[in-house]
Amino acid sequence: MKKRLLKVVALLAAISLSAGLFAGCGEETSDKNEQGQTVISIGGWPAKEGNTLDVYTDRKNLFEANNPDVQIVPDTWAFDIKTFYPKAAGNQLPTVYTAHFTEASSIIESGYSADLSDGLKKRGYDGMFNPQILKLLTKDGKVCGFPTAAYILGLTYNVELFEAAGLMEADGTPKQPKDWYEMVEFAVKIKEATGKPGMVFPTAANSGGWIFNPVAWSFGVDFMEQDADGNWKATFNTPEAVEALQFIKDLKWKYDILPNNTLISGEEMYKTFATGNAGMLITAGDMPGRMVKYGMKPDQMGIMALPAGPKRHVTLMGGMLTAIEPNATEDQIDASLRWIESTNSFKLTEEFKTNLEKSIATQVANNQLVGIKSMSAWSDESEALNFQNELIEKNANSNPNHVRLYNEFVANCPAELQAEEPVCAQGLYGILDGCIQEVLTNKDADCKKLIEKAASDLQMNYLDNI
Amino acid sequence: MKTQQIDVATAQKRIKRKSSFRNDLDAWILMLPMVIILYIFVWRSTVLGGVWSLFKMQAYTVKEFCGLDNYVKVISHTQFLPTLWNTVQYVLWSLVIGYLPPLFIAIMINEIVHFKGGFRVLIYIPAVIPGIAAMLMWYFMYYPDQTGLLNMVLNKLGFESFGWLNNPDFTIVGIIIYNTWKAFAGTMLLYYATLQGVSVELYEAALIDGAGPFKRLWHVTRPAIEGLLLLNVVSQIISVFQIMEQPLAMTGGGPNGASTSLGYQLYQYGFNSGGKGTGQAMALGVITFLILICFTIFYFWLNKKVENRY
Repeated sequence: MKKRLLKVVALLAAISLSAGLFAGCGEETSDKNEQGQTVISIGGWPAKEGNTLDVYTDRKNLFEANNPDVQIVPDTWAFDIKTFYPKAAGNQLPTVYTAHFTEASSIIESGYSADLSDGLKKRGYDGMFNPQILKLLTKDGKVCGFPTAAYILGLTYNVELFEAAGLMEADGTPKQPKDWYEMVEFAVKIKEATGKPGMVFPTAANSGGWIFNPVAWSFGVDFMEQDADGNWKATFNTPEAVEALQFIKDLKWKYDILPNNTLISGEEMYKTFATGNAGMLITAGDMPGRMVKYGMKPDQMGIMALPAGPKRHVTLMGGMLTAIEPNATEDQIDASLRWIESTNSFKLTEEFKTNLEKSIATQVANNQLVGIKSMSAWSDESEALNFQNELIEKNANSNPNHVRLYNEFVANCPAELQAEEPVCAQGLYGILDGCIQEVLTNKDADCKKLIEKAASDLQMNYLDNI
Repeated sequence: MKTQQIDVATAQKRIKRKSSFRNDLDAWILMLPMVIILYIFVWRSTVLGGVWSLFKMQAYTVKEFCGLDNYVKVISHTQFLPTLWNTVQYVLWSLVIGYLPPLFIAIMINEIVHFKGGFRVLIYIPAVIPGIAAMLMWYFMYYPDQTGLLNMVLNKLGFESFGWLNNPDFTIVGIIIYNTWKAFAGTMLLYYATLQGVSVELYEAALIDGAGPFKRLWHVTRPAIEGLLLLNVVSQIISVFQIMEQPLAMTGGGPNGASTSLGYQLYQYGFNSGGKGTGQAMALGVITFLILICFTIFYFWLNKKVENRY
């Protein structure tokens, strides 16, 4: 009986392993259809009927008319960290997909994006991108993503709560807090005037750690550094990091300006704010798209510069990249780059103009705030960028002064721009989430001990495993 | 003569083997769809998970053999022991809070005379609400400000709002209360079915002997269901040990890891580590499997004993 059982187990193991090995040997598929067109699939295609889908369909039709050698296949899968890696391992990624900069290093390290260097060179992109941004998407000299959007963090505010607290000028310009402590004063005024929490700070799903990073940098914190041997060391067991965490703790226990809920993911943060339950939050300039689904109207929100810290005035730089799946052929890469160019162009082409006009008209129709001019992925002001900014100004659907301070912050940034930590950023965010949750739920939490443990956890659980 | 006898015996054996093979073949054909499904969805993934836990993974791509490295990383992770302790706490609280209510409700329904069917349906309602909807419903009931249902009640009674799931000392208890509410109806039906099988004559005899309700419960009902009670302890331990969706949807494992279970940690390794924790996810899966296999073997042994009793 035992022998038989062993035989069954051995057989199962053998079949599983061989099937596992063969699973990777997929059939070679052609990149051409019967008409000889290059086929590319585009991820993030809207699944629901509506004007956003109409914009995509028009864009597809226009592109196929201008590029008769390419067939576009819509794919409704949109980037999600939970499904990305299984799909990539199973060769199921769409040819073109979009992700946040925060995922760039993981995607590139895993080898799940094609090298675009030659394709970009061929299409004349040398020297056109902002080098600071391109660096984030480059590994060993290979460019693994096309930066399609860039942003810096700013301070978003609720116009009605600001008005109630007397924090708005007559022309609709908000008062700008110059540092974190002045921001706290504003939040206290909002709470006193309206009874609503003065601000909302995320604490969960790695969002807390992500937003805490620029706050901590401004207190003089360096989270990690690489030594001469190439090993990474956690370097934030410092009084500066303790002071930054103490600042977060004080938001709750000293100033009482946060919501009662202390388990707030990024989405929960946007919901809390968009439903009028917080005066301020730290966000990127792409926040209107996140607020619109909760029914927040364009004239109810605004954005301004991120306040400075005691040691530095610094803001986090992020953005979106469009990557091409690693098994794409040269023809597919070329076709994909042409598709990306149809809405992200350095040059002002007719196709770009048409697509952008439709996209902004849809945002206006969806009652989404239009007026924020984001940071550019291009090295200098391109013709296309000027056109985009003029179109945004023309279609602004709220008082331009509500967002003017942010637009000026982007255009002539007085703050240092800093990208995310180079390695184990998500691990760091998870650990910092825990620290933030602890100081917001435990009045007696010891910030020094928490930071000491956080630095040791990052070292042992992540940096030592690189 | 002897040779002839041997030939007959061999031929008979051959015929027997052939007919047995034909019988087996029929059975295999009948079983084949299920075997294929089990192979694809259970056996293959289980065996591969175990094997790949010994390999360095780059996201979901197998790289080189690394021995027990993934296991060392999991066990030496500074959150491993707190997470294991949380999981044990889930199990303990589920036994304290969730073990007896299904039994009491089953006895209650068994005893009531009117509207028995109606009560059965009403009590079963939580079990038919989709899991994620029920979790969100409880999340909002537990909401820590004055908009949470439980805090509304507290405030009406003149008490201050409580943190509920935001309170590290309560978060596991809160999740287990939800879990009990959601899952008790299924267990209750099992008890109820067993109680229905207890002969009425035994109760009548006990009544004649002058036994009150508690004596009847102890001397008639208890012996009839104690086998099932024992089995449910083990099956509850096995099921709650794997708790994952509840902390994921209700607390995100917080505050500060206070509700993170082994299952949730495995999910984090597998899907939220930017592809860097896949090997550790499989190693933690094997560790959980080894812990649970002990309980499972005990469960089957116990099940056999219980079945033999009836």
